[in-house]
Amino acid sequence: MKLIIKNLKKNFDKKEVLKNINFEFEKGKIYGLLGRNGAGKTTLFNCLNEDLPIDDGEFFLKDKEVRKIEAEDIGYVLSTPNVPEFLTGREFLKFFIEINKDRIKDEKTIDEYFDFMKIEKEDRDKLLKDYSHGMKNKMQMLVNIIANPSILLFDEPLTSLDIVVQEEMKQMLKSIKKDHIIIFSTHIMELALDLCDEIVILNKGILEKIDKNDLDNTKFKDKIIEALKEE
Amino acid sequence: MIQTFITSFKLKNTYRVNSIIYSIKGFPIINKILPNSLYKNKALKIFGNIISILWEIVSTFLWKGLYVWLVLGSMTFAYNTNQVNTFLHIFVFSTLIGGILNTYLLNPTKDKYYAIILMNMNANTFALTNYFYSMLKLIIGLMPFTIIFGLLLKVPLLICISMPLFVAMIKIIVIGIFSIPDFKKNKVVKNENLPTKKVWILLAALAILGFGLPYLGIVINQIIYIVLFLISIILGIIALKEIIAFKDYKKIYKVLLTNENVYAVQNANSTQNIRANIAKNIEYDGEITSDKSGFAYFHELFVKRHSKLLTKSVKKQTMVIILIFIILFIVVFINPSMKEGLNSIPLTYLPYFVFIMYILNRGTTITQAMFMNCDHSMLTYRIYRTPKIILGVFKERLKTLITLNLLPSVAIELGLMILLYITGGTNNMLNYLILFVSINAMSIFFSVHYLVMYYLLQPYNINTEVKSSTYPVVQAITYFICYYMINIRMTTFVFGIATIIFSILYSLISLILVYKLAPKTFKIRI
Ligand SMILES: Nc1ncnc2c1ncn2[C@@H]1O[C@H](COP(=O)(O)OP(=O)(O)O)[C@@H](O)[C@H]1O
Ligand SMILES: [Mg+2]
Repeated sequence: MKLIIKNLKKNFDKKEVLKNINFEFEKGKIYGLLGRNGAGKTTLFNCLNEDLPIDDGEFFLKDKEVRKIEAEDIGYVLSTPNVPEFLTGREFLKFFIEINKDRIKDEKTIDEYFDFMKIEKEDRDKLLKDYSHGMKNKMQMLVNIIANPSILLFDEPLTSLDIVVQEEMKQMLKSIKKDHIIIFSTHIMELALDLCDEIVILNKGILEKIDKNDLDNTKFKDKIIEALKEE
Repeated sequence: MIQTFITSFKLKNTYRVNSIIYSIKGFPIINKILPNSLYKNKALKIFGNIISILWEIVSTFLWKGLYVWLVLGSMTFAYNTNQVNTFLHIFVFSTLIGGILNTYLLNPTKDKYYAIILMNMNANTFALTNYFYSMLKLIIGLMPFTIIFGLLLKVPLLICISMPLFVAMIKIIVIGIFSIPDFKKNKVVKNENLPTKKVWILLAALAILGFGLPYLGIVINQIIYIVLFLISIILGIIALKEIIAFKDYKKIYKVLLTNENVYAVQNANSTQNIRANIAKNIEYDGEITSDKSGFAYFHELFVKRHSKLLTKSVKKQTMVIILIFIILFIVVFINPSMKEGLNSIPLTYLPYFVFIMYILNRGTTITQAMFMNCDHSMLTYRIYRTPKIILGVFKERLKTLITLNLLPSVAIELGLMILLYITGGTNNMLNYLILFVSINAMSIFFSVHYLVMYYLLQPYNINTEVKSSTYPVVQAITYFICYYMINIRMTTFVFGIATIIFSILYSLISLILVYKLAPKTFKIRI
């Protein structure tokens, strides 16, 4: 399966944030979307999630045939965790499992999901209001993954997590990547190099892939930095 | 010195102009007509500037006029004491209260925060120039009103002229004799907008002396006022010297202008505060669960965990309504001559109940809680925004909202029907039925109205800032229409039937709109 973006344009007033985006994202890979602050990473995700109307172009899924992206196809994890504070972790999961009943392939028990996400037993029945930032983030990822959407967008999700949780999340993402198209935005290069199969750069409103070929890591980094600096 | 003042004035003005343009931008229609780069638009800038200057002038006079008129003017007639003396008495005590509550100099406002903390302007010159400007504004703004109202009450002209000076002197004394020496000694400044317990007690004492003593026939007289005035001038000059000589305004403001303090003033009603308050309202004891499933489960938990905000407050309302009717029934029983007058309430005052139902309806608070504690986070999940879920949750919410609001309205209509019956009844039995149905119709109308407005105009962005001006305007219009209803006198028969028809039509149309549009409109603004 592929997510194909063609000639996508997005302006704010006169400012062209996304000039002409052309790209094909494939299933089974984690894409690291690198870009400087304000490059338009969040904007691109908002467009793909149809939170923002686009000015021109199109994007769609191509499996055997081409089809429109439905709400159920996208899981979008925002950079700040947003969870309904009046529910407990368990209730939140239960609700999500129930409304996604017909889309979940091999449903697990709620506790198995918690285990999968490494959320401690004593936290599972607390109100989400009392969860730490990192735990909220985990919950947000979890409910987006449960529904098993083909496309997963993560907007700088690991940036604010401690290193142990970061490591856990990295392993988790690697373990689910074969069934999804995962796009992961960040401005931290080490993270991208470590986790992602492909590095994509958003610079001056254009999206381009940086090939590693047979460069070693240092040379590859230099190449990326060159690309980011490019005027 | 002058330069600092001009810069700070410009800064304040720019900030104000931008907020004006910002709220204009909130209207989708205007936003479409006007070019996008609105903040750069010249004509709009000029317009914003004019409004800003008008505001500066109006604010110089308006509040002071209202103060003299409402606090001094009208209260003076509330007592049987000599009017001139009462006027002066209330004036002196309310000036003392005002002096403590608003000193201008130590009021942690946003413009001070911007200028001193963010822009690093010279704190001493900024503080003094702006302080003298506001004292001048105070004296000029008050003078016309103390003279006009004073002369109307036959207060001697010289005293009228002295009054604004007295106000300024008290404010100066509070700072120069109390706050600044206190800071020098203890390195603390108190936020005057969040008075401590001691200050509250002092304020309460002053209020009792000011508004209570006249009841007992005790008021100051002109001689006492003149003595107080002279003392205030002497102390004021000493205080003024202290204020001018003080060179550590930067330190004072560093202590005072914390984020919290600045927010406490300007944003007492800000969404952040509302949000914090509403978040506090989540109740959880582990017992509360639901055996439903899907969005019914989700919604039921929301209702149960917010019972203080939802069910309990409605129950309280109902109790109060029942109590009021019981008192009315007792009045009728004790004093049958009231019957005729009270009989007209259910028969001709129905329009008045539109306003009452408006006041009673908890729609605004409830939809606000729905957003802050629930949709604010849930709307970031794409699946929650699919039509099936949006409309499913909408239906659950509508049911709850209507049921909740029906409780007080049933109390009202039963009360009215009994009142009608015991005060002599009516020769058209249909009136009973119309009372019953029309009050329910009003209640349902408001429930539908608030929820539909919320779903169609959802005004908040992810930071819970209101991004749409349409929503507050619709709310204001709703208020004015309901308020206007107070003046209408129509028989219950005619008005009741009109209300019923209107409510049914409105509800039908708006529900159709929600089903058609909400999947598009119900999202977080970007
Ligand atoms: N709603 C908006 N209105 C106007 N400009 C916006 C809006 N959202 C983002 N922008 C602008 O678009 C650019 C890209 O922003 P964003 O996508 O948030 O960047 P990134 O996520 O890569 O840091 C920025 O210059 C930002 O100011
Ligand atoms: Mg971003």
